[in-house]
Amino acid sequence: MNRAPVLVVGGGPAGLAAAARLADAGRAVDLVELRPALGGAYHRRPIPGVAPWPIGRAGEARWTRLAAGIERPEIRVRLRTGFLGVDGAGFTLLDDRTTGRVETMRPAAIVIATGAVEMVRPRSGWELPGVTTAGGLQVMMKETGRIPEGRILLAGSGPLLVALAGQMVAAGRPPAAIVETGDPFAHPIAGLGLLAHPGPLLEAAGHMARIFAARVPWRRATTLEAIEPTDAGLAVTLVDRRGARERIVVDRVALHDGIRSNDHGFPEASPTASALPFVAWAGDCREVLGVAAAEIDGARIGEEIAARLAGAPIATTSAIRRLAAARQAQDVLARVFAPARPPTPIERLPRETILCRCEGRTVGDLVDLLEGADAPGGREIKLSGRFSMGACQGRFCAHWVAEAAAGLRPDAPPPTPHDLTGRRWPSRPVSIAALVASNSSPDEPTRPT
Amino acid sequence: MTGGTFSWNGRDVAFRAGESIGAALAGAGVDALGHDPAGRATRWFCGIGACQNCLVRVGGRLVEACLTPAEDGLVVVSADVAEEIDR
Ligand code: FES
Repeated sequence: MNRAPVLVVGGGPAGLAAAARLADAGRAVDLVELRPALGGAYHRRPIPGVAPWPIGRAGEARWTRLAAGIERPEIRVRLRTGFLGVDGAGFTLLDDRTTGRVETMRPAAIVIATGAVEMVRPRSGWELPGVTTAGGLQVMMKETGRIPEGRILLAGSGPLLVALAGQMVAAGRPPAAIVETGDPFAHPIAGLGLLAHPGPLLEAAGHMARIFAARVPWRRATTLEAIEPTDAGLAVTLVDRRGARERIVVDRVALHDGIRSNDHGFPEASPTASALPFVAWAGDCREVLGVAAAEIDGARIGEEIAARLAGAPIATTSAIRRLAAARQAQDVLARVFAPARPPTPIERLPRETILCRCEGRTVGDLVDLLEGADAPGGREIKLSGRFSMGACQGRFCAHWVAEAAAGLRPDAPPPTPHDLTGRRWPSRPVSIAALVASNSSPDEPTRPT
Repeated sequence: MTGGTFSWNGRDVAFRAGESIGAALAGAGVDALGHDPAGRATRWFCGIGACQNCLVRVGGRLVEACLTPAEDGLVVVSADVAEEIDR
């Protein structure tokens, strides 16, 4: 087989499903995953000797199916390998973390399946050690089978907080409290829409039963306003629906205000197959629809790419209808967990609140920048204000900087998060030595067929 | 691979086979991983290689503590520690 392989970036459900379908069609696949194990966030595998985190029967079946699907000779799995970028001629750079070398390849097509990242609204103290994302705490628990020591507070919004709390209770370490900005029980009619999606509903019911049995305080319509380091731990200020404030002290805080596509720094999807390599996006990085939909979407994209590369017509499948159902479920959840009170606009947070963690830029810095000159656009906010310039490429701040800029300059055209971030690569730290050592002009590039 | 110990800023930290540097440090009660160029404390945040808040230095290279597996005898220092500390 001397045809160029299809490169699949990301070893979560979408990437695995896409790789399996491409192999079904006889395509060679290189599947790269940055971590030392496949699975993605939801199916994060534990280290040897640790039992997998219970994820329910449907979840276990999904993982068995996905893992079996890539057990075939056409698929080469490359762990600890990162995707750095692709140039206009289709040369692609891969960072092999095991050898410390950067390699080039010229794939026939690229599937970007890099999942989602969490959103964390800026609030005073969110940048402190001991403060993680809820998903970041969850993957650590899944990987190690352990929950870090101390009193842990979960705060923000959404079903992930409920799931994480339920899992912590099951492990014998209930969280100190769940602080939920929304008021889920206030939307019984919207909640009825979930009856059409019994799987997630049953899972949520199981977690809730455990949370109530363990008497974990679930503070609804309440917002975590600030975190302050003290000798006794992290002092957290909560504001309830009447505006009353309360301070509690914990050791760790896990924040989560929803998720969005992990799409920063990756090449855009190609509109047609004529531009090679053909780039397609699959799963949560294309549209956040959750783990079950990611498998469906990955399979759909895998089939579509195989057909395009073969010049065959793209078969219509049930995938579009099933993705639409997942979208509807997400909409219902968004309504159920809608904030009970409008959140404080970013630009009105205390001036010293960190907006951009990497560069240490604050709300006050942004206000001064936008009140000084003529309305700067997205690029100028980034270049002269050093917002969204840092190592995370704006993954955690560009959204909020754009929102605050729109609030501060209601008359100017609002910048988009992508105005701020651009599509920069390499998308992660790579040693110059490894880059220089890379074979930047392979003698005989493989022609995509 | 089996578990073992690695050196963290000169101190021995035990890890179990397959554990990431970041998870092993959290298990050892280490939350503050060092300082970024702006002088702010760094930490495990996203756990998925997206935030770059957990960068540490291994063999002179900056790597994400949440992604990089611990290895026996590895010398790991905070990102702001330029020179490697001998064990
Ligand atoms: S914790 Fe975010 S990159 Fe490691």
